[in-house]
Amino acid sequence: MNRIIQVARMQLINKWTFIGIPLLILGASFVFTMAIFWLVRQAGGQSEVTYSGGAQAPMWYFLALGIQSLTLTFPFSQAMSVSRRSFYLGTLALFGLCALLLSSFYYLMGLVEQATNGWWLNGRFFALEWVAENNWFIQIMFYFALMVLLFMIGFWVSTIYLRWRTTGLLVFFIGLGVLVLGTVFYMTLGERWGQFWSWAVTWTAGGVVLGAGAVAVLMAGASYLTLRRASA
Amino acid sequence: MTNAPAIQATHLTKKFKDVRALDDVNLSLEAGRIYGLLGRNGAGKTTLMSILTGQGFATDGSVKIFGHDPFEHDPTLARTCFIRESQKYPDDFKPWQAFKAASLFYENWDEDLAQDLVAAFKLPLKRRIKKLSRGQLSAVGVIIGLASRAEITFFDEPYLGLDAVARQIFYDRLVEDFAEFPRTIVLSSHLIDEVANLLEHVVVIDGGKIIVDEEADALRGAAVTVTGNAEAVTQFIGGYPVIHRDALGSLASISIRATLSEAERQQARQLGLELTPVSLQQLVVRSAMGAMGEGTSKQNVEAMK
Amino acid sequence: MIDDSKPIFLQIAELIENDIVSGVLAEEAQVPSTNEFAAFYRINPATAAKGVNRLVENGLLYKKRGIGMFVAHGARDRLIEARRQHFSKQYIQPLAAEAQKLGIGTQELIEMIQAAHGQLSGKEV
Repeated sequence: MNRIIQVARMQLINKWTFIGIPLLILGASFVFTMAIFWLVRQAGGQSEVTYSGGAQAPMWYFLALGIQSLTLTFPFSQAMSVSRRSFYLGTLALFGLCALLLSSFYYLMGLVEQATNGWWLNGRFFALEWVAENNWFIQIMFYFALMVLLFMIGFWVSTIYLRWRTTGLLVFFIGLGVLVLGTVFYMTLGERWGQFWSWAVTWTAGGVVLGAGAVAVLMAGASYLTLRRASA
Repeated sequence: MTNAPAIQATHLTKKFKDVRALDDVNLSLEAGRIYGLLGRNGAGKTTLMSILTGQGFATDGSVKIFGHDPFEHDPTLARTCFIRESQKYPDDFKPWQAFKAASLFYENWDEDLAQDLVAAFKLPLKRRIKKLSRGQLSAVGVIIGLASRAEITFFDEPYLGLDAVARQIFYDRLVEDFAEFPRTIVLSSHLIDEVANLLEHVVVIDGGKIIVDEEADALRGAAVTVTGNAEAVTQFIGGYPVIHRDALGSLASISIRATLSEAERQQARQLGLELTPVSLQQLVVRSAMGAMGEGTSKQNVEAMK
Repeated sequence: MIDDSKPIFLQIAELIENDIVSGVLAEEAQVPSTNEFAAFYRINPATAAKGVNRLVENGLLYKKRGIGMFVAHGARDRLIEARRQHFSKQYIQPLAAEAQKLGIGTQELIEMIQAAHGQLSGKEV
């Protein structure tokens, strides 16, 4: 347990990586979005609600963070004589904690947003109705699941690179491409898109949490198995 | 000192496709001494150290550090330190952050020693590591290695990138700190003569095999080069094992594995032969060449020097 | 100072012996610690210790616990005696062999030695 905590502390030595940059991206996205909202209000009326996808901005950074954790921090952790297991658990635990805190922040900001009627501009940045109509737990878990999923995608793909290098990545992406293409063919030729979209529309935020969560957990498991036999 | 050897490798083999990076390596190194792990580039030094520290994987055989398999075993890993020659650091890390991290993981970390070394190497603590010069980058690794005071510390070609002055600083500080805090140190190098006087025990690896595993003192003075008239030299060396021959016209220079007595030295003098000691570097080079068989090109000899 | 000709610990022992014989290290004087030797000659401390211990075993140095190593009483005399016995083998015989090679006769050799002695006496304080 000690080693795992030490890994988490190591990841926090540079405060920007796990704390500063996500907040900076969120802040910048928010300010930018508010400026747009304000301009729109100036041009048109106050009546409609305007939505922004700006809140997802930090989440794409987490994808990069997942990658960076493996390619740069992992080799360093090896030099610090840390086992792969401790590195894995410490990094994932720290990220989980940060994601949870950030998700809670999103939720709280969502409350403020609703209370101020969309920042007095009828805008929606945090509390998108489809999400915000759920209870606090589902809301926080929604953001959390998406953040973790994106992080895990970056992390998992990087473990594949670490273990099997470029060849492995090529095989992975080609395989993925084949899978996607195959699915598109299947759906198009069988005219199943209609079915798909009618099903997709029934998705709830809670459903997304479970789905994304399941995928993230699978990736996490696969990452550990791959990492265990990878060299820095 | 513990009863179990500090480092033990048994039938250790590592294959990369059809190349044997390590070929049935057997080693038993006791604690508290300075070891030299010598050999050419690509001989298997880094591969060996990487497996000993649980970072690399063996194809066959086993490794024990203080009696335990180090792979994924935090308590054992925490007693070792291996800084690679081309070590990666987290993006945007500065030296002071690397040292802060090291202080978290190495329980024997000595901050005063680290600061002392920072001053000695003139390392800019607040400059991004990715912007450091080669020498400064090496210095970061060397400082972590020394200040960690890990029970087993591996230095992988630590001088690469360090200029001659910095290298001397490293050797001096190493000897000084080792005297005060004895531990097990493994120095891998192909610049043998520089570190020769620091080593107690020498392990030479060539083509993945251990070809020398002896006390440094036993090797020093264990070989001598006899130079002079070819016939006289041949007569003099008699049945001593030859490790190297050089010829130029009627002159011959033959290195033999022998510790000559006073009488033999006199005899050499009388025959008009010159006796020169064989340095550890030359002994290692020539043993390696011997292991590979005669007829090795000059190129390989130069590469070792 | 330290070369490749023989084990370092032997060379360290010899260096200390030389200092005892020449008087640089007087009897009952303290000898530098093994760590100081190691730092000065840039050698492994264990090797330095081996060299010092060799002299302790031969009774030329002794240890005062907690303080350090000291030159034993009578060490100089014993070393001189041992070196005298080696003198012939180490210096005289090679000298004779070389002189013979160059055709220097015994009488000429004696004169050369006297001249050398004379120079030394002239230099002595």
